Amino acid sequence: MQIYLPIAEMPVNVLVILAMGLAVGFLSGMFGVGGGFLMTPLLIFLGIPPAVAVGTQSTQVVASSVTGALAHWRNMSIDFKMGGVMLVGGVFGSFNGIAIFRLLTKIGQVDLMISIVYVVFLSIIGAMMLTESLRAIMAARRGAPLSGNRGGQHSWIHGLPFKMRFRRSKLYISIIPPVMIGFFVGMLSAIMGVGGGFIMVPAMIYLLRMPTSVVIGTSLFQIVFVSALTGVMHSVENQAVDAMLGLLLVAGGVIGAQYGVRAAAKLQGEQLRAMLAIIVLLMGMRLGWDLVTPPADLYSITDAIPHS
Amino acid sequence: MRTYLAIATAALIALTATPIVAAQLVTDLSEHQVRIRSNFTGTQILLFGAIEVNTANERSLDRDVVVVVTGPSRAVTVRRKDRVAGIWINTESITFPNVPGYYAVASSRPLEVTAEGPVLQREQIGIDNVNFGAPLAQGIDGSRQILSVDDEKSFIKALVRNKRREKLYSSDPGGIIFLGQTLFRATVEIPANVPVGLYTATVYLIADGEVVDAISSPLYIDKSGLERFLYRFAHNDALLYGLIAVFGAALAGWLGSAVLRQR
Repeated sequence: MQIYLPIAEMPVNVLVILAMGLAVGFLSGMFGVGGGFLMTPLLIFLGIPPAVAVGTQSTQVVASSVTGALAHWRNMSIDFKMGGVMLVGGVFGSFNGIAIFRLLTKIGQVDLMISIVYVVFLSIIGAMMLTESLRAIMAARRGAPLSGNRGGQHSWIHGLPFKMRFRRSKLYISIIPPVMIGFFVGMLSAIMGVGGGFIMVPAMIYLLRMPTSVVIGTSLFQIVFVSALTGVMHSVENQAVDAMLGLLLVAGGVIGAQYGVRAAAKLQGEQLRAMLAIIVLLMGMRLGWDLVTPPADLYSITDAIPHS
Repeated sequence: MRTYLAIATAALIALTATPIVAAQLVTDLSEHQVRIRSNFTGTQILLFGAIEVNTANERSLDRDVVVVVTGPSRAVTVRRKDRVAGIWINTESITFPNVPGYYAVASSRPLEVTAEGPVLQREQIGIDNVNFGAPLAQGIDGSRQILSVDDEKSFIKALVRNKRREKLYSSDPGGIIFLGQTLFRATVEIPANVPVGLYTATVYLIADGEVVDAISSPLYIDKSGLERFLYRFAHNDALLYGLIAVFGAALAGWLGSAVLRQR
């Protein structure tokens, strides 16, 4: 069953898109990840123009992060003050990311940049997830409990100025690191069409030393607003948000997430996490392979003035 | 008064037209409008026509019909990849200002045998004879470059090759099928990724290596229904479109959360 996408200007198979939405939604429900870092490369593999894939994916991120943030809000596991500080950085980062995206589109390097950024991040995340889950599997086999290693209590971060008290996180730290993290993730969000939780969550735990109980809720809270801003800006700057494609992705994602959450309660988490890690690594390799192998045609064509 | 005038004009046209032109084309398209709806996966346009022969036993062997369908022209950038530090990246580029978004040619015999090169070039008949306009070459850093004629040719070839791969450029020697002496027809494939806009279908009658008659019909390809609405909305009112898309997504997320909570 084919449907013509008005902004991407190509027909796609509805069932394929829905299945992708379901699968990525399932994984995101199961592991609590946004899934953007899986969906955007999949859309590009399908032949959707990278700008449209990134722009449209940001609406899907809005939907899944709203679902997640609401659940954490009910559990009171959001540090709104910390989220707000990070959001300030996120807004600037997002503007910056859009500007970079526009510049690179103009000089014809946007596909390359998206590929490189994805190769780098998919490899790092995949490798990290894989080692972590393998270690957990080994530990479970040996029957030894996993020790939460949080290291020393003070680092260079505590020496920075502009300190602020975050009651919910039980922290008194400089606002510079959270703003920087927000900025960096906002930029990635605009360039990659992801929420950025996979960067933000480890950064909040290991750099800011926030309590794990509020980390995911707070990052989701921030992602809602940054991805909403990114989506609007991709619409305004590049006319790259395809409402039809977005609808299909969101529908598949919302349904898939429900089953993912339920499955997570029943299934062996670590093995599945290892599988996800392998999928992520394979996608990174595939994108990397495309960068280093000679392309089928050395020449490519694009409209000199995108649309209008 | 008006009827008299009309009759007089008709008579004048009839008088001037008949004796001068030996053979005349009459053509039409099966559709003058293609609407791209959500189920659009490409279509076919049937072009048909007849050559009106005035003298009863006139029969020219060296007589060909060529159909050219062109889409709206845009500036197109062709980029070449080179290996830099192990990865393939876009380096030189050439922008051609005047590239038809679609170009299909069908003929009753291969183009080479219908007319001499200069004739085809003048009329821009055949993919190799389309004039893409004055090229602007740029290096990877955006600086103006001057490319050799050979380089430029390889960029033009690459442009055509890419367009052919996307099925936007096509040539079909023998695509014009004659039904008897005067009637002919051709089918033109319109792929799903076709750009929207005003198209022109031109039928050329070539006799003894010269274009003796040509007739053009317009063909309008546009998005329709929801597709048109969304496309127009996204381009004319981008901010509102973006806000609605994001708000709709947030709403879907909230719905998802509500469903999740019930279980």
